[in-house]
Amino acid sequence: MKLELGFIQIKDIQFSKECKVENGTLYVNADEVKAFVFQDDDVKACVKEACFDIARPGESVRITPVKDVIEPRVKVEGPGGEFPGVIAKVDTVGTGKTHVLRGMAVVTAGKIVGFQEGVIDMTGPGADYTPFSKLLNLVMVCTPVDGVKQHEYEHAVRIAGLRAATFIGELGRNVQPDETKDFETYGIKEGMEKFPNLPRVAYVHMLQSQGLLHDTYVYGVDAKRSLTTIINPTETMDGAIISGNCVSACDKNTTYHHQNNPVVADLFAQHGKTLNYVCNIITNENVYLADKQRSSDWSAKLCRLLDLDGVIVSQEGFGNPDTDLIMNTKKIEQVGVKTTIITDEYAGQDGKSQSLADADPLADAVVTGGNANMPVVLPKMDKVIGTLDYVDKIAGGHAGSLRPDGTIEAELQVITGATNEMGFNCLSAR
Amino acid sequence: MCTVTPISMTVGANRIVPTIAIPHPLGNPALTHEEEYALRKKLVTRALEALTTDVKDQTIFEV
Repeated sequence: MKLELGFIQIKDIQFSKECKVENGTLYVNADEVKAFVFQDDDVKACVKEACFDIARPGESVRITPVKDVIEPRVKVEGPGGEFPGVIAKVDTVGTGKTHVLRGMAVVTAGKIVGFQEGVIDMTGPGADYTPFSKLLNLVMVCTPVDGVKQHEYEHAVRIAGLRAATFIGELGRNVQPDETKDFETYGIKEGMEKFPNLPRVAYVHMLQSQGLLHDTYVYGVDAKRSLTTIINPTETMDGAIISGNCVSACDKNTTYHHQNNPVVADLFAQHGKTLNYVCNIITNENVYLADKQRSSDWSAKLCRLLDLDGVIVSQEGFGNPDTDLIMNTKKIEQVGVKTTIITDEYAGQDGKSQSLADADPLADAVVTGGNANMPVVLPKMDKVIGTLDYVDKIAGGHAGSLRPDGTIEAELQVITGATNEMGFNCLSAR
Repeated sequence: MCTVTPISMTVGANRIVPTIAIPHPLGNPALTHEEEYALRKKLVTRALEALTTDVKDQTIFEV
């Protein structure tokens, strides 16, 4: 399966009368984006208002509460469209050509549940902890219709964000990309014949699926209702996996993370050189023990069936998913496949507590994304996109987190993407 | 009584009774009120049996 990504570098975003991408600048007519977003019945029924703003790297801007971050892309050749099964029809994606508006994102903001949406600072110490401070962000702040239920509203804002990103992505359809790159994986036999001496490596990608607004969708399917299965890495580049998560901001995988998965990028970089990148195995993190057992059994079965030599396992979230992580790792090692896991830590503010809720001697190769409990102080920003009303309540905050002078004192957990468990950030440890 | 018994084993609990799910350890929203009561009673009875059973090693009392 081969996909060509064409990267269109976006250097600025401007509000304008017309919508277009020209000489690296994205011109946006917010009313047109809004009209497209509100064509959806669920958005119309649940979202009272959506306002747009722009946040640029280095500006004294704080975006909060952040729900999702999405990279605008458009399918220009080959079957299907972006976000299959959700926005585009359910056809298989991951082949042909896709244009990417690089250097920018659509960010959805506004209260969903109030306690698990994050913070993105565009400058200062907070900006160092989030990859999204380096992007030009087109922020859509949503407010709910009175009396709407939280799960209906989460769905509506999720769709609103994806629709806005789809609309913006479409503007790149006829733009010449600045750079193109090919990504290709092979059938089982084909890959073995092509690279007979290279170790066979796959990526076990754990998807948050605890329910109660802790969900991930694959081709529109709620991941908690699926058994462990196989997906081609190029499918994820076309938005086959999307975030429906309101979980701790630091280690949730936004849709942007799924589109730009660094494990996928690094495995492709070594594909055909030091290893044979076989596929991705997607598995869930459910709240029933039977599901955890079944899904991790299935992960190990697939690893054995594919005759893998090694896998990288990435987690999403923390707490009971630590058990899914350890069960996957233990069972995969027991069928003779080597594992390395990527996780993060909740080791207390002093870093001295046990980092994970579960452990096993077979999980002996671990990469950490950092300690989410680490205290941080984020100075006041000149401008807030969204509202500071929930800063004391978001996971990692506490009563008094928002000081009267506008400074925020909280745990790293509050910052979107700070301890990402795909390794999409710069924190780690040796 | 807990849902994620592997964590109970990791932290060294002696008597472990597996329960339904993390958001509702002693209930199941898919059941009727009466069925849920019967389920809860079965789980608590099993936990009381576990408490009155001598154990030498960490033990999971399957329900």
